[in-house]
Amino acid sequence: MRLSRRGLLRAGLGGTAATALGGLATGCAVPTGSTGRNMVLWYWSGGLSDTVVKNAKARYGSSVSLDAIQIGGQYRSKLITTITGRAHIPDIAGLKGEDMAAYLPNADQFIDLRTLGAEKYKSQYLSWKWDQGIADDGTMVGFPIDCGPVGHFYQYEIFRKAGLPYEPDDVSKELNTWENYFAAGEQLRKRIPGTMLLTDVNSVFENVVQQGSKRYVDKDRHFIGDQEHVRNAWALAVEAKRRGIVSDLVSGTPDQLSAKQDGKLPSELGASWAAFDIKNGVPKAKGRYRVAQMPVRPANNGGSFLSITKACREPEQAFQIIAWILDASNQAQGYVDAGLFPSTPASYGLKQMREPDPYFGGQVTTDIFGPAAQKIVVAYNSPFDVALGQPIKDEIKNVGVLGKDPEKAWSDAMSKCRRIAKHLGVSY
Amino acid sequence: MAVLEQTPPAVVQPSPTRPKKGLRKYWHLYAAISPFYLIFLGFGLFPVGFSLYLSFHRWDGLGSMEWAGLSQYQYLLSDSDFWNSIGNTIIIWALATFPMIFLAMVTAVMLNSAVRFKGLYRVAYFLPNVTSVVAIAIVFGSIFSTNSGVVNAVLHSVGIDQVAWLNTPWGIKVTIAALMTWQWTGYNAIIFLAGLQTVPGELYEAARMDGAGPIQTFFRITLPLLRPTLLFVLVVSTVTGLQSFSEPQVLLQTSSNDSTFAGGPGHSGQTMVLYFFQQTFDNNDFGYGAAVAWGIFLVVVLFSIINWRLVQRRGD
Repeated sequence: MRLSRRGLLRAGLGGTAATALGGLATGCAVPTGSTGRNMVLWYWSGGLSDTVVKNAKARYGSSVSLDAIQIGGQYRSKLITTITGRAHIPDIAGLKGEDMAAYLPNADQFIDLRTLGAEKYKSQYLSWKWDQGIADDGTMVGFPIDCGPVGHFYQYEIFRKAGLPYEPDDVSKELNTWENYFAAGEQLRKRIPGTMLLTDVNSVFENVVQQGSKRYVDKDRHFIGDQEHVRNAWALAVEAKRRGIVSDLVSGTPDQLSAKQDGKLPSELGASWAAFDIKNGVPKAKGRYRVAQMPVRPANNGGSFLSITKACREPEQAFQIIAWILDASNQAQGYVDAGLFPSTPASYGLKQMREPDPYFGGQVTTDIFGPAAQKIVVAYNSPFDVALGQPIKDEIKNVGVLGKDPEKAWSDAMSKCRRIAKHLGVSY
Repeated sequence: MAVLEQTPPAVVQPSPTRPKKGLRKYWHLYAAISPFYLIFLGFGLFPVGFSLYLSFHRWDGLGSMEWAGLSQYQYLLSDSDFWNSIGNTIIIWALATFPMIFLAMVTAVMLNSAVRFKGLYRVAYFLPNVTSVVAIAIVFGSIFSTNSGVVNAVLHSVGIDQVAWLNTPWGIKVTIAALMTWQWTGYNAIIFLAGLQTVPGELYEAARMDGAGPIQTFFRITLPLLRPTLLFVLVVSTVTGLQSFSEPQVLLQTSSNDSTFAGGPGHSGQTMVLYFFQQTFDNNDFGYGAAVAWGIFLVVVLFSIINWRLVQRRGD
C-alpha cells in the first residue's frame, strides 16, 4: 500500500534512477497515445465482458493490435493523472457512471463522438442513458456500456408467510407506493417478529432522490438540495424510521448477510447488479429470492461508458471497435459474463437474457429490469452533486443510526450545505 | 536598504576554483549518491512543492487551474469537519497508544524472563505487524459486528447488553483503536525487549542484594533505563497513529453508494487522512485537498515538536 522512499530505492535503484533522469531531462519526449498499429483500451475488472474484449482483439487484429488493460484500484484518479500527465494516455477509456460529472466539464479532453457518426446508433440505445454521456455544450463524451435499473429483491416465502403479496407481478402491482411499501413493512414485523423491511434509512432517501429528475445542484450551478424533491425523500426516510421498519444493521456487513440468510431482512431495493452481490453474499438463499418493480417508478443506479481520448491517433478505428463491443448482442454477453445490464433494448429479447435464473426460483429477471430500464428518468448530474449531497446523506444517516432529531439534522445539513456551496462557488 | 559604499564596487576576482576542482575530482562519488537525490527531487520534493502551489488554486484534476489565493486555507480554518477529523485522530491515537505501550511492556518483560521458545514467541508477536491491514480490518469487522460478533457474544455471556460497535461514535473509535493496538503491540514489545536486554545484569543483582522485590526492581531500575526506548516507541506510534487511514477506511466501508471515506455515522471514525481523501477524491477538489494535506502537516509538526521536547527533557 504505502511504499517508503527507501523501499522504492531498494526495489530498483538503477532502473528508477535512469527513468528519473530520462523523465526529468526530456519532459516531452514521451509518446502520447498510440503509435501505429497499437491501440490501448483502459477498463476495470468487471467493466466489460472479457469474452467480448477477446473477440474484439481477434476481430480487429488485422488492422490494429488492441491492448486491453484492466486498471486496478482508484480507476478515475489514475485516468485523470494520466491525462493530466499527457503521456501514455489510453486511446479508449472506460468511464464509470458515478464519475461522469467529473469528466463532462472537461469534454475537451475527449473526442466528440458525434463527429465520428455516433448519431446513427442513437436509436439502438436507451435515450436517457445516451443523454448521460453528453456534456452541457453538446459534446458526446461517453458511449453507453450498461445501466443499473433498480428493482425490489424480496424473499418469496417470507412475504407469503406474512400475508403479503408474494408473486412478482402482485408485489409490483400492490407495493407500488412508498405508503404501501411501508405498510407492508409494518405487517411483516407484526406477523414475523424480528423481521425488518429495510436495512437503513439511506436506502429510502437515496432511492427516492434517484427516482426524480433533480438532484442537489442544477445546470446553473445553483443549490437545489433544499427543495421539495429532496425534502420529500428526507420525509419518507424519517417516516420509515418512525414506523419502526428499519433495522439497526450496517449494509454490507456479516451481520446484514446473516440477517438476510435467516429471512430477517427479506426485502431490499437494489440495482440489477445487486443480484450478483446477493448471490455471493447469501448463496444458501438460492431459490428463495424473487425480483419485482420498486415502489412508484424505476430508478437508475450505476452504469458506465466508453470514451475516446484526445490522444487517440485513429479515432475512426477506435469508434468502430467501441460500437462493435457495445452492440446489442455483445451487451447481452456482457450481462452473462459480468452482470452488466444492457443499454440496448434489443438485447432484452435475446436468448442469453431470457434464461430462467434458479437463484430467483426460475424467474426471468429481465422481465423486471428490461421494462424498468425503459421507464427511467435521470437528473442533471452536476460536478458539485457529490460534495453537496454528502452532508444531507450524512445527516439522514445520523437520524437513522444515532437517533438524531430530524428537525435538527435537517437544519444542520442545510447550514453545512450553505458553507460548502459558498466554498465551491455554488449559488444558494 | 542602506547604501554602504559610495565608490563603485570593485570587480570581484573569482577565488581559486576549489569547489569546481572538488567536483571534478570526486564526480564519481557524487554520481554514486545521485540516484537518491534525483529520485527524491522528482518524487519527493517536487510533489511537496507542487501541493503547496496547488493549495492556492481551485482545480478539478483535469481542467484549468484557477487562482484562489488564501481562500482554501480560510475555509479550512472554518471547516468543522476538518477539526472533527483532527479530534477523531487524536482520540483514536490515545485509545490505541497507551494500552498498546502498557501491553507491549508487559509482554516484553514476560518474554525477557521466559526461557524456552523465545524465538517462537518473538515471531508470533511480530506477525500482526506484517499482516495486511486490510485483512486485519475485515477480520475485526467480523469480530466487532453487532449480532454475529465474538465480542458481543462474550459480553452477552456475562450479562452485558450488545454494543453496536461499528454504528456508534465511541464504538467505532474503540474498534479502530483495538485494531491498531493489536497490530502494534508485538512490534513494540520486540523493541522493548531489545531495550531490556541492554540493562546490565549486575544492576539487578545489586538490587537483589539490597533486598528489592520484583515490583520495586521494575519501577526503580528497569523503567528508568528503558526511558529512551519508551520515547522512541512513543514517537513512532505518534507518527503512525496520526497517519491512520486504512483501518477506518476498510472497517467502515458500507454500501456502494456511500462514500468510502466518510468514516461511519456522524463521521465518528473519519481520521485526518481519511478526510483528506474524501475532499480530494470524492469531491474532485484537488486544491482544497492540498490545503487539507498541509493542515495535516502542521498538526504532525506540532506533535513532533511536543515529542522533541519530551526527548530533550531527557538530558536533565
